[in-house]
Amino acid sequence: MSALLRARRGAVVVFGLAALTPLVVRDAYFLDSLVLILLWGALSAAWNVAGGYAGQVSIGHASFFGIGAYSAALMVTRFGRGPWLGLLVGVVLSIGAGLIIGVLSNRLKGPYFALSTIAFSQVLLIGVSRWRGFTAGAEGIPVPFRPGFATLGLGHTGWVYMALSVALVCYAVEVYLERSRVGYQLAGVREDEDAAEALGIHTRKLKVGAVALSAALTSICGSLWAQYVGFVDPTYVFSVDLSVRFALNAIIGGMGTALGPFLGSILITSLETYLRATFSNWDARFAGIYLVIYGTALILVVRFVPEGLAGIAARIRMRKAHA
Amino acid sequence: MDPARRLGPAQIDVLAQLAVATVLLGGIYALISVGLTLIFGIMRVVNFAHGEFLMLGMYLAFWAFVVFTADPYFVVFVAIPLFFVVGLVVYGLVMRGVIHASHNVQIFTTVGLSTVLQNVALVAWSGDFRFVRPWHLSTVLRAGSTIFNLTQVVASLIAVALTLALVAFMKWTHAGRVMRATAQDREAATLMGIDTDRVYRLTFAIGIAAVGAAGVLVAPLYSVYPTAGLQFVLLSYVVVVLGGLGDMLGAMIGSLIVAAVEVAGSYFFGVAWKEIFYFILFILVLVFRPAGLFGQRGAETLGV
Amino acid sequence: MPRFVVTLVVAALTVVLGGELATVGGQATSGEYRIGVLEPITGPLAFEGKRHMEGLEIVRDLINERGGVMGKKLVFSVADATDPTVAASEANRLITREGVKIITGTFSSRLCGAASEVAARHDVIYWESSCVDPRFNKRGLKHVYRTEIDATGFGWYNIEFIAKHLAPRLNLKPNQIKIAFLSEDSSYGQGVTESARQRAKAEFGMQEVMLEYYNWQTLNDMTPTILKMKQLNPDVVHHISFSNDGVLFWRQSKEQNFLFKALVHAGATGYGGSDFGKALGNDANGVFALLEPGPGFRLEALRPEGQQIEKAFRDAVQKKTGTYPFGAHQLAGSGLWLLKLVLDRAQSDDPEKFRAAVMSLDLPVGSMINGWGVKFSELGQNANDRVQHYMLQWQNGQLVTVWPEEFTTLRAKWIPLGAWDQRK
Repeated sequence: MSALLRARRGAVVVFGLAALTPLVVRDAYFLDSLVLILLWGALSAAWNVAGGYAGQVSIGHASFFGIGAYSAALMVTRFGRGPWLGLLVGVVLSIGAGLIIGVLSNRLKGPYFALSTIAFSQVLLIGVSRWRGFTAGAEGIPVPFRPGFATLGLGHTGWVYMALSVALVCYAVEVYLERSRVGYQLAGVREDEDAAEALGIHTRKLKVGAVALSAALTSICGSLWAQYVGFVDPTYVFSVDLSVRFALNAIIGGMGTALGPFLGSILITSLETYLRATFSNWDARFAGIYLVIYGTALILVVRFVPEGLAGIAARIRMRKAHA
Repeated sequence: MDPARRLGPAQIDVLAQLAVATVLLGGIYALISVGLTLIFGIMRVVNFAHGEFLMLGMYLAFWAFVVFTADPYFVVFVAIPLFFVVGLVVYGLVMRGVIHASHNVQIFTTVGLSTVLQNVALVAWSGDFRFVRPWHLSTVLRAGSTIFNLTQVVASLIAVALTLALVAFMKWTHAGRVMRATAQDREAATLMGIDTDRVYRLTFAIGIAAVGAAGVLVAPLYSVYPTAGLQFVLLSYVVVVLGGLGDMLGAMIGSLIVAAVEVAGSYFFGVAWKEIFYFILFILVLVFRPAGLFGQRGAETLGV
Repeated sequence: MPRFVVTLVVAALTVVLGGELATVGGQATSGEYRIGVLEPITGPLAFEGKRHMEGLEIVRDLINERGGVMGKKLVFSVADATDPTVAASEANRLITREGVKIITGTFSSRLCGAASEVAARHDVIYWESSCVDPRFNKRGLKHVYRTEIDATGFGWYNIEFIAKHLAPRLNLKPNQIKIAFLSEDSSYGQGVTESARQRAKAEFGMQEVMLEYYNWQTLNDMTPTILKMKQLNPDVVHHISFSNDGVLFWRQSKEQNFLFKALVHAGATGYGGSDFGKALGNDANGVFALLEPGPGFRLEALRPEGQQIEKAFRDAVQKKTGTYPFGAHQLAGSGLWLLKLVLDRAQSDDPEKFRAAVMSLDLPVGSMINGWGVKFSELGQNANDRVQHYMLQWQNGQLVTVWPEEFTTLRAKWIPLGAWDQRK
């Protein structure tokens, strides 16, 4: 156990700090930022399962996020049941959708796969916007706040631990993929599919499985998000922006590393929040500057640190080991 | 009864007008997609900032019109060299560093570029909707009972001209042949002593010049605002993929197909559903004919 | 795990903590009273957010010239709300970092839902001036108020105008009117269109010949829809448009020589924005848009206190922007002015005292900016018949007030619209 903890020192620090924060800090905005950091981190970790470990880079993961968000919101508002049941339904539907995307991934590679996932999320966006009778269309669904664990009506502290739990689940899945046989096989598929196939690995099944697992995790986060923010509307939950955000944290933090997505989320979410607050308070006309900085930072990080924050860390560790 | 499903003598006129609408809308899509066909087809770079260069072209038309009362048809001649230079600069600053990187790195680089350009426009010119209204804006031509909007006709003609010019360029000039060779097999081209970096720089600059010119020409038809390019990005990819990678004439036919799906979908099923048809078509083509409707050599470098 | 990463994490957290904690206690400055303002300042709604901000700033200055609120100078903490997550997060920031007890905003229905939920959980007053989702104040949140009518109100007014004003001038009975509904598919468009459809059918028996929704951001060609409409031959087109879609529909209708008798829109976007006139010049003539008052509005029709503030507001907007106020200015501005009236009465931002003051306000139509009156329901909604709305019409490059006739010196023209080249 202690060996595992030592090997995962970074994770212990990150998640440990997150767990301790609500005990010390009572400030709602700080806790809210922490929930978002953990939730976006978990979503990026979920994306990482397909994008990082299996090499299936999707820009349509908002599909699963939206399915999760709508399942939970509709279960509460249309059927009068708890959001937990909605979360489960969302997982089932997302696995179904994940299988479709997974099958696409068997036929398409690189940018083609990425483009097809965007198209998939757009089809869902239009479908949900048009099916007014059931989904309330573009008007969206306000999710009622009912205090209690069964209804996911938690306070800020409660939400920190809820987001932390789902973050740990996603992290655990990633660690499993790093250490297990399946994980090694996936790495084989990612690096050289033909060679992996020749070694008798069922590459197709593995890829489809990874995408479906990633979809299920994304959907869980989507359901939780719907209850947390309290308003679900199709143009947001199925947006390309959101899909990009999931991928972005993982890429900046380090694709195919377990802690990377969380590091990326910490950096990006804080940077974004901080810049936004600073600039909009300064002068509304210049509010766009924060996005200019944000975009520039993105270009620079991707250009000069393509292996991500976790990669830098590894490089430094290597250098130290040699010294 | 739904008039869309009723057939009578009046329907012939309607069908003719729908056909005209398809051709004219297809012309606009072709115009916007020409540059992307080059950049995606030859460089294999998914450029998410494509729409933002279109937006910049639209702003150029707007400011030229406001400040110098310059007609977009004149401004377009300024736009081509100007955006060629913009392309060179952006290539040098942003794209060159990631041209040999993975697709993911490229995708997210251009996402960053798109965010930057959108918000530079927002800060510089505010989020207001702007309009370019040259005197010929609402001029229409008539042929029998069908009606042609002049601006759209010109846009379509220029799209055709630009496409033909690029086809000729690719076919008969040395630079064009080098570009095609690079597209088909980057490694082999390098082995043959081709400076791929120069090829990519040229490709990118021509692509940006084309989309900048397209922005100037469509500015009178649509409103000009910082996120004006967004709606055309995905659509351009549908066009380019349908047409086949880097296939100029294919992209032109792809534009017509997308326009036909959109026009027919809007008329027969309702405008609410129009995009769903071409996105589904897009997915189907990706799955069943990933090299485009007409096939294309070199697509295998993408592993399809 | 490496020290570097830990350092980085700590550094990032420090930035957030340090930067944000430093601004705590914004409310403490004496002599100033701070409220939170949430508007979409970036992103696709930025153009509207900007006008709302202008309206708010103009009225803030008017308020401060008149002694501020509760004896203090009114100041803003502005936050950029682009999507529901950000709206909620920024509402949290305004409340906990800036210490505001009142938040106003937000233009869009997807933003006000999320932001007001946060406010409610902190017992902070949420003062909405523009989002029109009918469900907004039916969620049992006690300190959520809306000064503007909801989408149902817009639909109600539009059909009122068509049935009572247009129908007689078209020599048609309301139940003879063939009406086509066309709308952009945002929550605003859907809300207004659905309530208009319902009233048109249930109360007046109008004949609905078409219903179409579309996404304004991806709309590149209206010709197919226009060709379809031409065959359906509606008398009235009820079209809620957002931006370029209005221009596109009008321009292509002219190209296709699509003739109908009237077009009615509601709201400050699309046909209701100055952009429509800029894009089409005199070709815009004849379009109706339900809005706040425009040129032609008779100040004398208002009560004395209403005349005074309406004139001051109009002059201030003219001075700052060089134009007559736009709908977005008027909505945000009148919302803020109404907030001042409530605070004057409550002399407190305690939610219960504030609520008591809101409920006790009872001002007839004509008492404030836009000629509005005030009477809030228990749900926190200002009454339809107090929030007087006006039908404006594009006449030679200007959107002028034409209805109800007692409020205006100008009259509606081109009923029916007639040939495209005859509307001069």
